[in-house]
Amino acid sequence: MDFSQVELTAEQQAFEKEIRDLLSTSWTPNYAHIALDHDRSPDSVRLAMAKRGWVHPELSEGEGGAGLGEIEQEIITALFEEFYIANNANNSLLIPTLEQHGSAWLKENILPGIRTGELTTCLGYSEPDNGSDIAAAKTRAVQDGDVWVINGQKMWTTWGNESDYVFLLARTGPIEEKHRTLTMFLVPMDAPGVEATPVWILGGGRTNVTFYSDVTISDNYRIGPVNEGWSVMSTPLATEHGAGVVTEGVVPINGSMGAGFSRTFEKLIDGAIDWAASRKGADGRSRLEDPLVRLALAEAMLDLEVCWNAEGELGKPMAAEALAANADRLADMAAPEGILDFGVDGSIAAGIIASERQHAPGSAIYGGTTEIYRNNLARRLGLPRPY
Amino acid sequence: MTTTLRRNDYALSDEQDQLVAMLRSLFSEQSPISVVRDAEPLGFDEKLWATVRENGLLTISLPDSVGGDGGGLIELVLMGFEIGRAAAPVPLLDHVVAMRALGRLVDSGVELGSFNWESGLAGETIVSIAPISTWELGAELVPSGAVARAVIGFKDDAIVLMTRDSRAPQAPNDGGSPLAWWDPSDPAVQVTTLLAGEQAAQLWDLTHREWRIATASSLVGILASSGEIARAYAVERQAFGVRIAQFQAISHDLVDMHMDELTSRNMTLKAAWLTENEPEFRPELASMAMAQATRAVLRSTAKAVHVHGGMGITLEADVSLFYRKASSWSLVGGGVRRDLQDIGRAIDRRAGERARWHENNAIVKG
Repeated sequence: MDFSQVELTAEQQAFEKEIRDLLSTSWTPNYAHIALDHDRSPDSVRLAMAKRGWVHPELSEGEGGAGLGEIEQEIITALFEEFYIANNANNSLLIPTLEQHGSAWLKENILPGIRTGELTTCLGYSEPDNGSDIAAAKTRAVQDGDVWVINGQKMWTTWGNESDYVFLLARTGPIEEKHRTLTMFLVPMDAPGVEATPVWILGGGRTNVTFYSDVTISDNYRIGPVNEGWSVMSTPLATEHGAGVVTEGVVPINGSMGAGFSRTFEKLIDGAIDWAASRKGADGRSRLEDPLVRLALAEAMLDLEVCWNAEGELGKPMAAEALAANADRLADMAAPEGILDFGVDGSIAAGIIASERQHAPGSAIYGGTTEIYRNNLARRLGLPRPY
Repeated sequence: MTTTLRRNDYALSDEQDQLVAMLRSLFSEQSPISVVRDAEPLGFDEKLWATVRENGLLTISLPDSVGGDGGGLIELVLMGFEIGRAAAPVPLLDHVVAMRALGRLVDSGVELGSFNWESGLAGETIVSIAPISTWELGAELVPSGAVARAVIGFKDDAIVLMTRDSRAPQAPNDGGSPLAWWDPSDPAVQVTTLLAGEQAAQLWDLTHREWRIATASSLVGILASSGEIARAYAVERQAFGVRIAQFQAISHDLVDMHMDELTSRNMTLKAAWLTENEPEFRPELASMAMAQATRAVLRSTAKAVHVHGGMGITLEADVSLFYRKASSWSLVGGGVRRDLQDIGRAIDRRAGERARWHENNAIVKG
């Protein structure tokens, strides 16, 4: 057991200062950017980071990273949080898959840009008729000589309107064979026949429906063997679910999504504290001293600490549900101002609570619903498969 | 402001694993559920207490300087996990927390009056602690108060030791716990002031935090046992031709109970390590561990009862016994709202940090 503070080396302190200077000169913190788990970094920040190999700093310099360790990565994460910058480039899910299964051509031509973070990607799994049941995909890829022709439709292609590539799951055999006839492709989003139509979601964010009409791509874009898509896809999915994340270092134990949601939750509490500190009650005292405000804040802080202590796959459902419950709690604490929109005069920390109350329900859905997580956890507990 | 990072290592050492194995086998052999039932309504078993004493469990978490074996709060928490798992009817946790406080007083040269230190060390005299005295004056319900002859408390900004020559009568309660009223104005109770002033307040705060952490650990043990019992029943019991654990309405509750157990366990270990090694850092973690374990044990033992259907509410079902223990072991310290009140120190600290951050950084407000 060890919860001690890490003594940063002189090099690590210099690194911290360098990135702090970079962020404070290229970005002004903004209360609106609290979906730290979900939103994509602003291009200005991402490209400045990419130039230094800091989008995937764990990779070696030759691979487009900076050869940095766990400590430096956590410094980056902490500073992004402090400066209200979302840290989701999405590529970290894809890199191991391309390294393991990508064609020689993909590795030579596309992988380098994905590693540096200059190229961006999005995920094409869900469809109108299937969400959590990914293996029911209908989007079809048919081989025609050296090329594949893709037809179909994908849902929830978040960042599909501004990504360079989509990691696409397609059907390459009889649909009755479920997960045995799936194949993965990396499809350029600017290929003729690809179209992203916006879907506006709670909280003001955008996701997309993406349409694929006779999209013709070279066999070079295939990832892994034909009909082996299920196992190819599970490489990044395992990363996203935080499975097997066991560490004795500084990385939080609650998995990548659990930690992301927890950081968003932290910003929510900070915003609520900023609000309470700025308000006075009828007795002239700060609302920070109001017992009702303190009770709500203490409950929120307790829930946050629980989230940080929820290990591995527990992390996501715990944090997603805590985020939603506490956005409600804090909106109620600050009622009626708690429901005012972002940027409206008199809103709570510029609307941070109302905005997060809108955003939070999604966190219990995307990347696998909390029910799917519970089914997985039930199996790990040795419980039988659902009836 | 610069970034600080901390390690997140919850793993037990080999020695700690061995201690857990020893405790698990000792309590499963010496404190089966029949012993727990026979010890009711008082909630104390003389023979088990003798076993605890003979096996040296009372001195493991006391420092060498006062006759202990040099272990600390983490070892005490590991004992708490196993005591809770067995619902063992012994006041070990209250006693050791109180002795650790008295030991600190002895170490700083405070005289303990008529209190016989050696008798406490041996467990002949049972000592307990009065957590409610933090907020309330006068008579109060004391955990293990019906078996203790000495109780450490905090009255009028001073640490006091209350003693009596006879046992206080138990206040009957729904979990069969040895709760009792201790009234400083009762002629049977002698009150000795041990230490006053700022040093006393700090020492009491540390003691109170240790009690919350130790008590939380026993609730983690109850969560472990009641969860195992409910899972075993749900994979065995059939309804509509299938095992009831195949229904998501059941299995998802079982998963939630497991999440409650693991998060409570981790929070207790983390609070114990930091309180032991860096008592100034985030002092609210003790109350957080206690609040989480309390609300977790109350809702999860209720779910464990519910999974059993009608069987769950029968007194003969083991699960109903853990349900009863859950409340009387968790609420004796004043309840979750008192813990939340204590977490308020984190609000003030964070508000200060935020104010400093805003002095140095602009933020867009729309």
